[in-house]
Amino acid sequence: MKPLVLCLGNDILGDDGIGILAAEKLTGLIDDRADVVATALHGAALLDLLVGYKQVIIIDAIKLTGFPVGSVIELNLDELRTVGSPSPHFTGLPELISLAEQMQLDFPEEIKIFAVEVDDPYTVGKQMNPAVVGSLRKLIPCVTAYIDWWQKRTGYA
Amino acid sequence: MSKKIVIDPITRLEGHGKIDIIMNDDGGVDRAYFQVPELRGFERFAHGRPAEDMPQITSRICGVCPTAHHMASSKALDDLYKVDPPAAAKKVREYVYNIFFIEDHALHFYYLAGPDFVVGPKANKGERNILGVLGKVGNEIGLKVIGMRKELRDMMTLIMGKTIHPVFGLPGGISKPIAKEDRKRLIEVADHAIEFGQFSLKLFNDVVLENPEYMEYITSDIYTHKTYYMGMVDDNNKINFYDGPLRVVDPDGKELVKFGPDEYLEHIAEHVEPWSYVRFSYLKDIGWNGFSDGPDSGIFAVAPLARLNAADGMPTPLAQEAYEQFFEICGGKPVHFTLATSWARLIEMLYSAERMKELAEDPEIVEPKVHTIPTEKPTEGVGIVEAPRGTLIHHYQTDEKGVITMANLIVATQNNAARIALSVDKAAKGLIRDGNVDDGILNMIEMAFRAYDPCHGCATHALPGEMPLKVGIYDSQYNLKREICRR
Repeated sequence: MKPLVLCLGNDILGDDGIGILAAEKLTGLIDDRADVVATALHGAALLDLLVGYKQVIIIDAIKLTGFPVGSVIELNLDELRTVGSPSPHFTGLPELISLAEQMQLDFPEEIKIFAVEVDDPYTVGKQMNPAVVGSLRKLIPCVTAYIDWWQKRTGYA
Repeated sequence: MSKKIVIDPITRLEGHGKIDIIMNDDGGVDRAYFQVPELRGFERFAHGRPAEDMPQITSRICGVCPTAHHMASSKALDDLYKVDPPAAAKKVREYVYNIFFIEDHALHFYYLAGPDFVVGPKANKGERNILGVLGKVGNEIGLKVIGMRKELRDMMTLIMGKTIHPVFGLPGGISKPIAKEDRKRLIEVADHAIEFGQFSLKLFNDVVLENPEYMEYITSDIYTHKTYYMGMVDDNNKINFYDGPLRVVDPDGKELVKFGPDEYLEHIAEHVEPWSYVRFSYLKDIGWNGFSDGPDSGIFAVAPLARLNAADGMPTPLAQEAYEQFFEICGGKPVHFTLATSWARLIEMLYSAERMKELAEDPEIVEPKVHTIPTEKPTEGVGIVEAPRGTLIHHYQTDEKGVITMANLIVATQNNAARIALSVDKAAKGLIRDGNVDDGILNMIEMAFRAYDPCHGCATHALPGEMPLKVGIYDSQYNLKREICRR
């Protein structure tokens, strides 16, 4: 089975569009060996997209401190904190995984996250920060390398 | 010592969308403020863009309810070009829209309200989540919810196409008809949705209505406001989510006014407060008289409870039965209990399912003509739908080439904002005693606004791992004395 590359973001919200831009670049580059899906959905609704895949790469914008804008940050699931959210719109991946485990859903065995440090993911219509766009030079090879490695390891067509 | 408590439930919004609670020296509450995030720059962003792009653009505002924006925008384009879509197009739009309602209402009930009502408002916070709900009701119910949502989503994909921002709604109709051979599937999905709606109401009945403690919360004065209510109705004053005039009833349930989309500015105005980015909608017919309820205050509510109050009934039989039970148990009409919104939401979910079936059983829904080509020069258009969270208004003006010169959006949470502010203030004052602000009390204050399902998704999605909730306790000089991370 092909892995899923799930690109999260909103292309009218400034730097939050980096995931969608990455999806555009990846489509045509790896869609023979991975399903590339771009979505503005979030929270619990992502469960619908993840179920059924064994391996998933998630690309998203992130705002941390201590990283230059445009940094590509590689995260594993165990590095994410649990989000006891007051809203299903903000349900985090760890909760989705717990939910999937409890209900014995066919949930991905491997999830790798590539996050891009952004400046302003809030302002409608704002141009993306050039450093964020520049992150694609590192992000795209990282994602394709991962897909290639998974392909060699698992031997899927 | 006076102190200030801040509940900030919003990720990635940097100070927008939070609750500030100002305490007095006696350990009680002087005032609690609710703030929602602003939608920055959208109207400026829309300026200069072709109007026909608006259904795609506006659906990107919100990752939670893109279909509501898409539909309000499509209807605004119909009005802008003064073009009436063919009957089949209207039916397909409404079918899709009711799918969206079920999907959204189910998510709210099982994931958001479920922890409060099924697990319990004062339960350990580690259990007050969807896993806690499943622990109480069993995994099979979780699988049922996920299965139903998947079935609905697949049907939306079948009708609208599998793209991130589908080109579905057009001025004068939709982009493609439904194939005749797919109609059977439309009916099947509607049948499953009806069964799911009945099941959900039975679950609510068994778990909530049979529990005197929960009913005490629902009917508690802490969660009660006697305000005006607004909702969309059909020709018979029964509920409709897709089309019809807006009807407003007063705190006694009597009709105040009923108006069409092009009259909304005559009846809805906006009030600004220095402590909030949100523009608080109120009724022009009554006027703004501060944050108070009663017949002299123009504050009104939208969303499920308001819609049930504003309508004379449900147009489908099973939902009507549930509607009658609702008002009977809650002591007559209108119902002012904010927490009854969750129950009203389930009644609406059943209505949506029944309406899907009505639409699918109509052979006209698969007629091939689904687009009327506009011929009029565009000038101005207003489109209104009921979003799951309440009345959503899109208003555009264009030049003669159809390029946007003005866009005004009034979203559901804005319409509810003043009543939400009332709810948070009253709950905080009623629940916090002797300076005691424990986790259970904070959750019960959150319940006051959670019932409305205020949507902050207009901002952006949240990368997992960020802090969703922060409570800061301040002294009378607003110096931070204590900070609690609620996650």
